[in-house]
Amino acid sequence: MKLSGMFRLPVLLGAALLAPATLGAEHTSNWAVLVCTSRFWFNYRHLANVLSIYRTVKRLGIPDSQIILMLPDDMACNPRNAFPGTVYSNADRAVDLYGDNIEVDYRGYEVTVENFIRLLTDRVGEEMPRSKRLLTDDRSNILVYMTGHGGNEFLKFQDAEEIGAFDLADAFEQMWEKKRYNEILFMIDTCQANTMYSKLYSPNIIATGSSELDQSSYSHHADNDIGVAVIDRYTYYNLEFLETEVRDTSSKKTLGDLFDSYTYEKIHSHAGVRYDLFRGGAEAARKRLVTDFFGNVQNVEVDGAGNTTALEEELLSLSRTIAVLHHKADEEEEAVAAQRKNATGQAEVKASAQKNVHSVKPLTDENWWSKKVYGAAAVAGCTLLWGLSSYLESPGR
Amino acid sequence: MGNPLALAMSTQQPPDNGAANLESSSTSAITLSNNDGVQGKKQPPPEKPSDIRRRSHIILSFWLIVLCLGLPIWWKTTTIYRADLPLQEMLDWSDGKACRPVFPLHISIQANALQEHEAQNLLRLTQHALDDLNDFSGHHLRLQLAPPSAAGHYDRDSVLTIRLAPGETTTAKFDPHEPVLDITYPSNGIPSPTSSSSPLATYVAGQLRSAFAEEQAAISSLLSANSIPSDHRPQGFSPDASDALSKRPARSLRYAPTYHLTFSLFTSGPLPSSWDIEGAIDQYMKPVLDILSPIHNFTIDTQVQLYATPGVQNEVLNKEDLSSFINAAEWPLSPSIGGAPTINFIVFVGNQTIATLSQQSPGEGDDAPASASHSWLIPQWGTVYLLPLPHDTTHLPASALKQPLLAFTSHLLSLTGIPQSGSLPLRLSTLARIRSADLLLRASSTLGSLARLALALPSISIPRSVADGVAKTIKHLRLACESLGEPEGLAHARIAEAEAERAFFEKSMVGQLYFPDEHKIAVYLPLLGPVAVPLVMGLINELKAWRKRRWEAAEAGKGKKME
Repeated sequence: MKLSGMFRLPVLLGAALLAPATLGAEHTSNWAVLVCTSRFWFNYRHLANVLSIYRTVKRLGIPDSQIILMLPDDMACNPRNAFPGTVYSNADRAVDLYGDNIEVDYRGYEVTVENFIRLLTDRVGEEMPRSKRLLTDDRSNILVYMTGHGGNEFLKFQDAEEIGAFDLADAFEQMWEKKRYNEILFMIDTCQANTMYSKLYSPNIIATGSSELDQSSYSHHADNDIGVAVIDRYTYYNLEFLETEVRDTSSKKTLGDLFDSYTYEKIHSHAGVRYDLFRGGAEAARKRLVTDFFGNVQNVEVDGAGNTTALEEELLSLSRTIAVLHHKADEEEEAVAAQRKNATGQAEVKASAQKNVHSVKPLTDENWWSKKVYGAAAVAGCTLLWGLSSYLESPGR
Repeated sequence: MGNPLALAMSTQQPPDNGAANLESSSTSAITLSNNDGVQGKKQPPPEKPSDIRRRSHIILSFWLIVLCLGLPIWWKTTTIYRADLPLQEMLDWSDGKACRPVFPLHISIQANALQEHEAQNLLRLTQHALDDLNDFSGHHLRLQLAPPSAAGHYDRDSVLTIRLAPGETTTAKFDPHEPVLDITYPSNGIPSPTSSSSPLATYVAGQLRSAFAEEQAAISSLLSANSIPSDHRPQGFSPDASDALSKRPARSLRYAPTYHLTFSLFTSGPLPSSWDIEGAIDQYMKPVLDILSPIHNFTIDTQVQLYATPGVQNEVLNKEDLSSFINAAEWPLSPSIGGAPTINFIVFVGNQTIATLSQQSPGEGDDAPASASHSWLIPQWGTVYLLPLPHDTTHLPASALKQPLLAFTSHLLSLTGIPQSGSLPLRLSTLARIRSADLLLRASSTLGSLARLALALPSISIPRSVADGVAKTIKHLRLACESLGEPEGLAHARIAEAEAERAFFEKSMVGQLYFPDEHKIAVYLPLLGPVAVPLVMGLINELKAWRKRRWEAAEAGKGKKME
């Protein structure tokens, strides 16, 4: 045992050299998918939930191009809103969540289960603009926050349809298969929220929800002038933590600190956390920084000053000459090719024709003729039926 | 009863008309039973055998329609179309069984001062020395002797040309413009035909190895990241080199055939309001874009934004501030033009400076540069350049943009993932090879993902276009695998990757994948329940009646025999 260990040592050393390149524990971009799933004025608090998380991730540096915001309704312009053009998540109305600068990517009836799954799996058409796509790679950390009305293993979308826990799990699995994320923090605030993440099975996901099976998720308080509840308890206390403890991207607070701040007294339901999918389990997951998911981490590389410019100028003149050389060489080649073409024009044509034959053949190709025969048979059958029935109905019989 | 048709008929008619509609033969039966009221309850008239037969025909025809027409239609319309995918082949590609990426690199040697047999001998020895040094079978260096007629030209088909020339001492120097390595050797350095080793051969081999070390390391780390077994472990790397190696994939952008370059001028005040960016790009950046053109295309747009507030307002920016300098909330930096990924180059005119190392941490800043640096690179994103200007500048001429653009140019090269060391022509061809390996592996792993997905989700539909895409991908992967290390290799790998992505992200492969059983019952029961009840009941009644008739017939037969 010991001996084999010793033999392995050089290999391990080699692996250690490679490790930073291959392990890829570090993420290079942060994305946020913030989804509200309910419409109508009395669900004001759900939109306020999402908008306050949106404000937080933006405050911590995730640019709008990396935030996908789904809002099924426009509370700011609702005729019942006593404060038109604004959305508040607190009765003190200190922070207008709508502000001047908000980019809603999916709004109104665009917020559907299909669009949500399309977004996650990136199965979208050519016409979809880049701002509405989740262009993540295997080094992206994603925060997925959802809120709305849910039940046991489903979350309702817009009173019309629902997403099941299985669908969500399959979508995440497809993302993992295609290497579309490094780590995901899945956060959900609905009734019976913890059931939504119970079916997930893809690695590197930390999931947290507001309430257990058969538990409701409650709102925090209502604003009497607006007339409805303005925020849910779970989101409220998440925000409280993020606002007071995570002031900027340099904060060293961990997800463990965040999850420990949940208590039944505050939230009035049992918030749940799921660590088992994460690489390294609970211990590693709890050590992840809050800003790994809520903030945008950029490792900038400052240039040295001074002698670099000389190098760059050299590079420039070099590339200039190389470009000229390439151009010349290409011209020469073209001339040679043209000559050859003139000589062997006929042969070329033949060769290209043969190439076409070799190109791809579709795997299942229905025969054009068999389709025609089916059609003819159907028409003949119908005519026969009609003839038969008219014969049977004829009074002479 | 029980026949749906009969049910429908009887409910349509008012009850008192029922008797009148009965056939005349049964009226006598009614009057008869009326007359002897002692029998109690009135009995319906016996059915005629033809009616019984007609009823069983009706039931039979209903069942025939359901079974022969309904069932097939239901089956046909509800089955999910799944095109046949060559799953095993796809998995083979992703596991690296279908193709072992091998880069045969041809290096030609021009040794015009040597005799033919001397040159051959040197070549043989050098090749031996190379093979001894090389422990990575995927990356061959193959030497060949260039024909003497090609003197003065470098061989375009080989990766590198070595020009051997007699000189005072053994030296090696890369030609800056062409992929040529000039090696001089002292006259006594030529190995004798009988010797089994020569210092010159070892020297050349060592030079070659160090020239391709970074490429080898990059490719082998790519392979191992894709869990393709590679027996290569980079050895003898300085910590510096391995650090650069690990930084490369983190810094460089994902390969895309086209990149979109956005040049932005942000000013803290109203001035300067115009810049000669077009001229500056032509002068300082175009040449580099030109030499990158075989690998990437570039599209360019520019913008000027006045009164821009950066994310950090400090006069002196620390390293921590730099990462939040970009005001992502307010600066319009994601133009979302076309489908190409954007590289941002920002010139910021203001009075902010970057803290030098010594200012940041007085203890360790011994090697701090005297002048402050002006720019920083944001991995996978772009560059910011702080340009100090007098306050009354209204127009930025091209000459003022020289420094920023030179910085942008060198950053562009590192963003595209070009190797750090070596001569430029060699670095470019290395980039093409690394990218084609990268694309090949990416397309293969996408194929594997698609295959595993098709196996794991039996209810996902697989349209024909996906099968077509897979076929095309595999075809081009094969071609790419055969021509790795050549320009066509990159072209094929590029097509393969694009096709694989298109197949995986096929738009119609989405839908609600999972339906719980309760949902199915909830959908089918209201539809099929009311239809199925009369159908099934009719069949059961009919069967009962048929058995009863048979029993009666048997009884009657027995009775006859008894008589």
